[in-house]
Amino acid sequence: MAREKSSFIRWIQSGKVNKRLCMITFMLFPLTLLVVFTYIPFLKMFQFSFYEMKYIGDREFVGWENYLEVFTREDCFQALKLSLYYIVASFIQLALALWFASILSFKTRGGGIFKGFMFFPYLVCGIAVGFIFKFFYTRGFVLDTILQWIGFNLDNLPYWLRDRSVNNISLAASSIWRYMGQNMVLFIGAIMSVDSTLYEAAAIDGANGWAKFRYIIFPSIKTIIVLNMILAISGSLSVFEPPYVITGGSFGTGTYFVVMNELAHESQKVGLASAMAIVLLGLIFIATMIQKFVEAYFLGTNGKEAIRYVRKQKKIEAQHAAQAAKGGR
Amino acid sequence: MKKQAAVCLALAAAGTLAMAFPAFAEEGAALTIDQIKLGEDYTDLSADLKFLTHKTDVIDTEFQRYIEEFHKSYPNINIEYEGITDYANDVTTRLSTGDWGDICMVPTTVDLDELENYFVSFGDYDKLSEQYLMLSNRMYDGQVYGMPSMGNVQGIVYNKAVFEAAGVTEVPKTPDEFLDALQKIKDNTDAIPLYTNFAADWTMTAWDAYIDSCATGQADFALEGRTKGQNPFSDRGDGTGPYAVYDILYEAVSRGLTEDDPTTTDWEGSKGMLNNGQIGCMALGSWALVQMQQAGEHADDIAYMPFPITVDGKQYAAAAPDYCYGINCNSSEDQKTAAMVYIKWLVEESGFETDEGGFSAVISKPFPESLSDFGDVELLYDVPAPAGEETLASDVNNESELGINVSGAIAKEIVESAFDGSKTMEDMVAEWNEKWTAAQEKYGITFE
Repeated sequence: MAREKSSFIRWIQSGKVNKRLCMITFMLFPLTLLVVFTYIPFLKMFQFSFYEMKYIGDREFVGWENYLEVFTREDCFQALKLSLYYIVASFIQLALALWFASILSFKTRGGGIFKGFMFFPYLVCGIAVGFIFKFFYTRGFVLDTILQWIGFNLDNLPYWLRDRSVNNISLAASSIWRYMGQNMVLFIGAIMSVDSTLYEAAAIDGANGWAKFRYIIFPSIKTIIVLNMILAISGSLSVFEPPYVITGGSFGTGTYFVVMNELAHESQKVGLASAMAIVLLGLIFIATMIQKFVEAYFLGTNGKEAIRYVRKQKKIEAQHAAQAAKGGR
Repeated sequence: MKKQAAVCLALAAAGTLAMAFPAFAEEGAALTIDQIKLGEDYTDLSADLKFLTHKTDVIDTEFQRYIEEFHKSYPNINIEYEGITDYANDVTTRLSTGDWGDICMVPTTVDLDELENYFVSFGDYDKLSEQYLMLSNRMYDGQVYGMPSMGNVQGIVYNKAVFEAAGVTEVPKTPDEFLDALQKIKDNTDAIPLYTNFAADWTMTAWDAYIDSCATGQADFALEGRTKGQNPFSDRGDGTGPYAVYDILYEAVSRGLTEDDPTTTDWEGSKGMLNNGQIGCMALGSWALVQMQQAGEHADDIAYMPFPITVDGKQYAAAAPDYCYGINCNSSEDQKTAAMVYIKWLVEESGFETDEGGFSAVISKPFPESLSDFGDVELLYDVPAPAGEETLASDVNNESELGINVSGAIAKEIVESAFDGSKTMEDMVAEWNEKWTAAQEKYGITFE
């Protein structure tokens, strides 16, 4: 018995078991959280999308009917058009972030403070940001006052949240303010990882700021740029907080998510709203795939050369070979 | 869902068995609210109750006073309030778990035919309606599942001083008189004639509350006229019906008689503004009266008028219950009894309705003085839907997505369209009628 026990203890203490034990215990919590709060609700939602149901009451299986309705309704895809505003905004946001990041990555006076200030909005909760901007855009409040200082006349200024020509731009601007800092911090991190001797070598070769950015920074961080773009575009497709909190989706600012929320909570069409969510998931998938392909084609991924570049090279090689063959004859 | 129903049934069965014992022996059936004699029965009952409420603002004040008062007769029944800000949505989700507490305000998202799966019956409609008003609102199959916490009248809350300063001496009774009055306020004072409270969103549902009995004088219009009628939103041409109500809003907005920027209205701020005369009037239920009076120093200026629609020379007002109390059917027998005692006490003796500016659900109690403008107005109560059609009105409404009395979608669309002139009333009416007809068809209402 004593020998067996000791061998059991030895076995349990051996590296093999410990390693597995560690793996299991470390993974248990994140996996449980992931399954309980992400996958189970998602599967439930997927199931709901095939039913005609309310939150309370009987469910009726309707097959693909909800999906058909998503594609035949006018308001769903109409709302998706609003995403264009946010996609444009996300490009502006990325450009600004990249610009600030490449400035702040090098020794700048007060760089830490600027980084802090610009990152701060991301830490504020989305609902609070909504309320901040509601007051910011209110007639005669912050924005109007500032513009009046510069010399604008209040009568010539639009109602920022009411006029259909500007209200979506106002809302998209608030999301630039919120997410720019986060993108910037990611970019700074990537830029920091570039070997600094490269800059020195470039400086000796007489490279200016733009050349350094174009030929050193940009190639080194293109993976992060693409990642940020994917996040920004999928974020633009599923905008919810700004329109929901600031305008409640009124005056033509109701995005896809706001429409979905209205259907689920006000008209109690839970099945239809679930189907909308699944359709959006599919769209985000497609958008990401396209981006991935574009990235692979123009920029190259994971150390592979860009497909376009490789093809060009092949073409040139082929031409050379052909010429060589001609010349030979 | 089925499981819950089964649990409910099992509990109900167990309850019936338990009731064979002494306290209930003489009734031989489930306890009903009219059998309880407050201050005499069950005074030694002890139970802990959890109470979900939408009144987050008075939990620490008014409600604590009620508990204190209630404890004088029932020292062993403890009540713990839990306030929920986004009440209707959150409670709907929590109800489906079965384990949410003992008393709640029954959300309108529970269809009438589902009530029995979640709530305890307070008794027979015919019997209880001898003592209480407005029970049909949460009733199914002759059983009442919700006791009205209080009743509201639907009219317009206004600042008398502003109307007088503008030269409006008589309370307007028709849409035209009302719009003229608003115009006078705009011309003669600095006040905003009609404040829409558009941004608060839920405030817009107030407009839906006028379109039924109030605008037609028919107590059963919501079901017979609107749910079953053909093209209910069309202009009747005589200043009555749903069209007249919505047209007032449309005209008011397009003539510039409302605030400049509806997207940035401020609900909390609007109370003070009405109180001190910066706003002429607002379309809200009578519950708003007390809040407006307490929002500043000019409580005496704030009054309540009937909605300005006259049908054949007579004005009507819809009287409807506010949230109703419901008891969880999964609670223990003692908790159910204690909950029923407390609800009866709340309805009859707490004075909740006076504190909140409504009127009591108890028939014998007098109508409050604050609603003196309603002297000649006939109050119309909801009529119970006939068997088999209990859920028809909400089914058609949900299917149409017009959100009448739910989201205020129609009123919001009107404000938007009137501001930028994108649609006329006729365009919108055609759309609503079309959606409504399609929804009616789905539930078997067709017109040949």
